[in-house]
Amino acid sequence: MSSFELLAISPQLIISLAIVLQMLLIAFKRSTRLIQSFTFICILLAIASSVFSLPALNSQITLLFYLDGFSFSIVNTILFCSAMVVLVSGNYLTISHEVHDEYYLLVMLVTLGALILSISDHFASVFLGLELLSIAVIGLVGYLRDRRQTLEASFKYLILSATASSILLLGMAMLYAYSGDMSFTYIEANLDNSTANSKLFAQAGSILLLVGIAFKLSLAPFHFWTPDVYQGAPAPVTMLLATVSKIAMFSVLIKFWFLSEQFLDQVMLTIISLIAVASMLVGNLLALKQNNIKRLLAYSSIAHMGYLLIILPVLSTSSIEFAKQSVLFYLTAYAVATLILFTFIAETSKSNSSSDLDNWHNWQGLFWLSPIQASAIILALLSLAGIPLSMGFIGKFYLITSALTNQSWLLLASLVVGSSIGLYYYLRIIFIMFAKHIPNGANAYDLSINSSLSHILLFSLTMILLAFGIYPDIYIFL
Amino acid sequence: MILTQIILVLFIGGFVAWRVELQRPQSAKWLSLIAIGFSLALLISFANDNHDIFYQYVKISQIPWINKFGINYAMGIDSLSFILIALTLLLGVVCVLVSWQEITDNIGFYYFNLLASLAGIVGVFSATDLFLFFFFWEVMLLPMTALIAIWGHEHRHYAAIKFFIFTQVSSLLMLLAIIVLALINQQHTGIWSFDYFELQKLTISSQTQYYLMLGFFIAFAVKLPSFPFHTWLPDAHTQAPTAGSVLLAGVLLKTGAYGLIRFVLGLFPEASLEFANIAVWLGVISILYGAKLAFAQTDFKRLVAYSSISHMGFVMLALFSFEQIAYHGALLTIVAHGLSSAALFAVAGMMYSRLHSRDLEIMGGLFSSAPVMGGMLLAFVAAAFGLPGLVNFVGEFLSLTGAFKVYPLQVVLGALGLIGSAIYGIYLFGQSFQGKVQHQIIDLTHRELLVCSSLLFLLVLFGLFPELILNHFTEYSLHTNINLITIDKLSIEVMS
Repeated sequence: MSSFELLAISPQLIISLAIVLQMLLIAFKRSTRLIQSFTFICILLAIASSVFSLPALNSQITLLFYLDGFSFSIVNTILFCSAMVVLVSGNYLTISHEVHDEYYLLVMLVTLGALILSISDHFASVFLGLELLSIAVIGLVGYLRDRRQTLEASFKYLILSATASSILLLGMAMLYAYSGDMSFTYIEANLDNSTANSKLFAQAGSILLLVGIAFKLSLAPFHFWTPDVYQGAPAPVTMLLATVSKIAMFSVLIKFWFLSEQFLDQVMLTIISLIAVASMLVGNLLALKQNNIKRLLAYSSIAHMGYLLIILPVLSTSSIEFAKQSVLFYLTAYAVATLILFTFIAETSKSNSSSDLDNWHNWQGLFWLSPIQASAIILALLSLAGIPLSMGFIGKFYLITSALTNQSWLLLASLVVGSSIGLYYYLRIIFIMFAKHIPNGANAYDLSINSSLSHILLFSLTMILLAFGIYPDIYIFL
Repeated sequence: MILTQIILVLFIGGFVAWRVELQRPQSAKWLSLIAIGFSLALLISFANDNHDIFYQYVKISQIPWINKFGINYAMGIDSLSFILIALTLLLGVVCVLVSWQEITDNIGFYYFNLLASLAGIVGVFSATDLFLFFFFWEVMLLPMTALIAIWGHEHRHYAAIKFFIFTQVSSLLMLLAIIVLALINQQHTGIWSFDYFELQKLTISSQTQYYLMLGFFIAFAVKLPSFPFHTWLPDAHTQAPTAGSVLLAGVLLKTGAYGLIRFVLGLFPEASLEFANIAVWLGVISILYGAKLAFAQTDFKRLVAYSSISHMGFVMLALFSFEQIAYHGALLTIVAHGLSSAALFAVAGMMYSRLHSRDLEIMGGLFSSAPVMGGMLLAFVAAAFGLPGLVNFVGEFLSLTGAFKVYPLQVVLGALGLIGSAIYGIYLFGQSFQGKVQHQIIDLTHRELLVCSSLLFLLVLFGLFPELILNHFTEYSLHTNINLITIDKLSIEVMS
């Protein structure tokens, strides 16, 4: 392994080193503040160190990894989201008396898993990253063990995630049996000398792999765990799950799909179209009746992952590049909007209460109480709904353009239907915030954020959303 | 940059009004009035210096915006845009005046929304880049929805969501059509462009053109509104605060008509011609159906709302007949309906502030206590049913006369709508101001008198001298838009 290769994966290396140091630090001095700052600085270092991996763009790094512009951007988005989660967790956790060292350790493990996933090019590294991510997430989801919902959510996630992983593994095994190659580009070696029977075997393997990924992305019909886990997990963990884990898994899907040329397979295309249509409709329809904001966001995330699938059926290899750019832009827009919403939920909730403050009646009249925070939330919701002035609109513009280039009319039609249903529940939350404020003591107290850090966070995230929405040229695709 | 200045003056003016109101109550309305007045002055002085905007399309600004897709911040103006922007700002003043005392809570934010939606509407009328047009098209919706949802009447949330979803879904279809258009252009020329004039040069196969035209048509037909996309309108109009109704009826519906003229007829002349028969029938149905439903209402604002559907049917009928005279009629109807429906909604607001009801059943005999208001209402109702001497008459007369040559049957049916409008107009006036005295109300205040009399003055002025508007459209439109289309049509007829 050359120094060139080492530099190329420097963000991953720094995070791994940080995890070891974190454990030493815990042994040395137990302090929540200290480890939080340490974690945050390490993530910043990892972001800075990604500059070193720039020269290694578009090159194979050992057998396991491949770094290109797409994964470079994914790596940085993931690190950015983790940094936000670390910052937000501070206030959320300090309320209770325990020292929360392990929490940050788990967050870092999730980050590492996601980072490995985003550059992996090989079944082994995918599985490694995936397990690292999933097992740490299980710990995090059940972290607040005094809450009943939390335990339930954690168990649900444990069982379903383990099932999904084993299905994924079976799929990988079948593909390996077919091709004798564990890398994503296995297809290249085996185009000619394959019989119809072994092709079928490979197809079954691909489908199983896809099912495993769909589980993690909570695509319909594999979405049943999502609302419970979103609701049960502590707010910063839900934030991590909704951003870091989804982004990493989607990058795996993109690589698998395009590198092993699944888009040429008619059966796979049919399956992915069905999953996409089902996700858009199921996610949006089930979100309609939710009064719990975390559950609502869970369903809407199902729909958003469904929207993203719209770029997968490509007609020619020339449009792959644009499809990847669309995914990057949309994922970033989705992540920033989700970060804003969960930052607010996390800041208004406390880890020692029996549940988070996520019923939407808690938000009634928020606009008149604190207009700036409410504006941030409204903008995030409008961005998710895809209304102009926000990054989400440009993201949707990318998706639609990509889908039109590839003439996926069915998917476009369900995108139109889905997002019109989506408007209804986003608008309903916004209207709640504009309703007359009912001053009952607890409500007014809980909703006022008094940490200046979270004000800054909300403000800067909102600015990002606006800046990319108004002037999207500043988003640079590598 | 003049149009950008107007938009900025409105937007920043609204924002300043919002913030200042928190410190100094009662200042927001004055600030808004000043901002709108100032932008009106800007527009007029610009038009005074640049007479060529009345003869050709003048591009005002062209700044690269999103280079990846070749999107420009491109604005321009011609006589059509000018008249609609002037109407928008004029009704903006009316909106501020009618909300003078009506709005009592969150005043600053109210005026911000009012001015922001005015800014968006001005943007819609002046954008020449299709992406920018879509951008403004959506942006004007948000503050409008807020106006309905926050300061509206009892079912405001329902009405606001319905309004928003109807317009959003239809405009998503338009977005698809816009992107397909740009993609076709990209395949032909190799570069991305959303520029109106670039895309106009495209030659598209007739089938694709038809589908694209439908995408645009549905978006604009929802806004116009035309049967069968009209169901959002009665709810939105009824539930909105007075200024919201004035803005909706006066200007927002005109964005639909503007879109039909500029984009549907401008970008897809052949497909529009092919579609004309259906569009004309939709227009006729809207005229009759709107009039029929208006007559069945007992709610003052709902009645006026349905009458809007009827009047906009004339615009649709006239536009898709591809006749110069009918086109002029449509333009006059747009202006006339903007003024008269705004006036009717303003009167509805004045009555609501006195009676706290819009129910025609409980009104009656108001004439004895408020003769001036009654007189004004009678004049506006007369305008709405097309009394000669007022501009609505000229507009509808020209529309029908022009279209008669091409679609005699449809015009005969549509003309029945005029009788319908007379019936529901008189019904409206009779129910509220005549009959047994039920209530004693205060007559118009000076501010209200100013609103009513200035609108009435404009209705009479343009009614007696319609050339004031039409003069600007003779040469330019004759040579570019309409004539080209009629020639096309003739050649098609000759061929077949």
